[in-house]
Amino acid sequence: MTEEPYRWLEAIANRREYVGEQLKSGSPVLAASLPDGVILLGVGGGQSKVFELFDRHALAGLGHPADIEKIRQAAIDAAHIEAFTRAPEDVSLRRLVGFGLSPQLKTNFEQIFSAPFLVELLLAELGPEPAQDLFFRLHYDGSFQTQLGGAVLAASQPEPEAAGQKWLKDALQGITNRNEVAGILLQAWWCVSENKPLTDQIPAEAERKAGWREAVKGKVVEIGWLARQNARAARYQAQTISDLGL
Amino acid sequence: MSHSIPIAGDFLSLLAEHQLASARVDAASGPMVQTQATTVFAFHFAGGVLMAGDRRATAGNVIVTDRVEKIIEIDSTSLLAVAGVPATAFEMARVLQTSFEYYRRSQLQPLSLPARVRALARLLRDNLPMTLQGIGIVVPLFAGVDHAAAPPRPQIFFYDPLGAQFQAVGYAASGSGSGTIRSILSFQERYGQPLPSRMDLPEAVRFASRLLSTASEFDSATGGVNPATDTFATIKVLKADGVETVTEEQQKEILRG
Repeated sequence: MTEEPYRWLEAIANRREYVGEQLKSGSPVLAASLPDGVILLGVGGGQSKVFELFDRHALAGLGHPADIEKIRQAAIDAAHIEAFTRAPEDVSLRRLVGFGLSPQLKTNFEQIFSAPFLVELLLAELGPEPAQDLFFRLHYDGSFQTQLGGAVLAASQPEPEAAGQKWLKDALQGITNRNEVAGILLQAWWCVSENKPLTDQIPAEAERKAGWREAVKGKVVEIGWLARQNARAARYQAQTISDLGL
Repeated sequence: MSHSIPIAGDFLSLLAEHQLASARVDAASGPMVQTQATTVFAFHFAGGVLMAGDRRATAGNVIVTDRVEKIIEIDSTSLLAVAGVPATAFEMARVLQTSFEYYRRSQLQPLSLPARVRALARLLRDNLPMTLQGIGIVVPLFAGVDHAAAPPRPQIFFYDPLGAQFQAVGYAASGSGSGTIRSILSFQERYGQPLPSRMDLPEAVRFASRLLSTASEFDSATGGVNPATDTFATIKVLKADGVETVTEEQQKEILRG
């Protein structure tokens, strides 16, 4: 079957359909750059969505827990090997994704006799200033987009993701307080999770706030914070919504 | 070629899998002059554990530098004091720093204190050929927070060159000036006023500086403390909630008072 190019294309298309179907119910993850750091946020079961990778690097993802775990371990292994053989300052998200994770995901996706990774990922690198905060939006097939600063959303479907990203850009305009930003990210999370429109017909703010509070009952809001000003090399802190007064 | 599977969270086995483990020296071809770092010590004071070291490195009768940092923060709850050959000691510190952080990040929990203490013992055992040849001997001190205790409290450990580990009750010292330090600490523990364990931070810093000054009078390989020439010790404090460095400016202020 694989000798025939058409069959191969068909198989790849089938895989995309399969992965899309498997990821459909995935809970989105979000990140935003602030003057004093980078916040990453997801809603899951605790230590299941947002993770520390290295001193200035963090990962948030949705998908199959085993696949997120494999990617997370691979990224942590690569970062620590790099830091040990060169220096911690040499660990960069560009190299981690561009030369490590992305080619692996692409290879795995195109090898049609093995199971594809069921993941959608968002990776963050804390820069010396907000404009240099680097985000990678990495997809299950190894393709990725980069963004400097701002806010990023990773969802299972491209349309709500694009709509959420656009809404976040406007909603976070001029807001620098971490607690407020986390609240807005949770509103976006609720809208995307509940398939609410993120256009002119977006639910009112009060409804969005009540919505996310209700939706996170029995779940854990996982928040990762990469602090820009910190004496220690490891900048990551795991936080809770009560830490942020939400 | 077959590769062994790394042990989950074990950075050394990951290095071995990538064939990046440190090369060992198996034979010495003749006597050589080593650079050595000398006096370090740690004691319990009212605020936790104070760990201090002089800053001199020597090779034979030559002073190589008076600016060595021998007290190293391994992670937010561990301190290492190195005495012996710096090349080996600093590499051990780097391995521990990466290993502890690697474990914490990959396994989503910090390494326990007993495991951290044994990790250093393992490095010392791995260094056995160098130790036996007398060209890479390291005799470190380690301080870590015991989170299994209620409330969590810092503990001091000392080692022999082969990797045996011992918990210190009140204090530990290592290096060529440690004999003097141990004698004074022993005296102070029995008859001192105040006892080291009851000293506050300024008292403990002043005491530590005087210990090093005294040791340097009897041991040429120990750098002393001399505010007049801006020569201070490296002093770090381990508390239940983390590590603090007592900076040169703070030491100067304390010694002036």
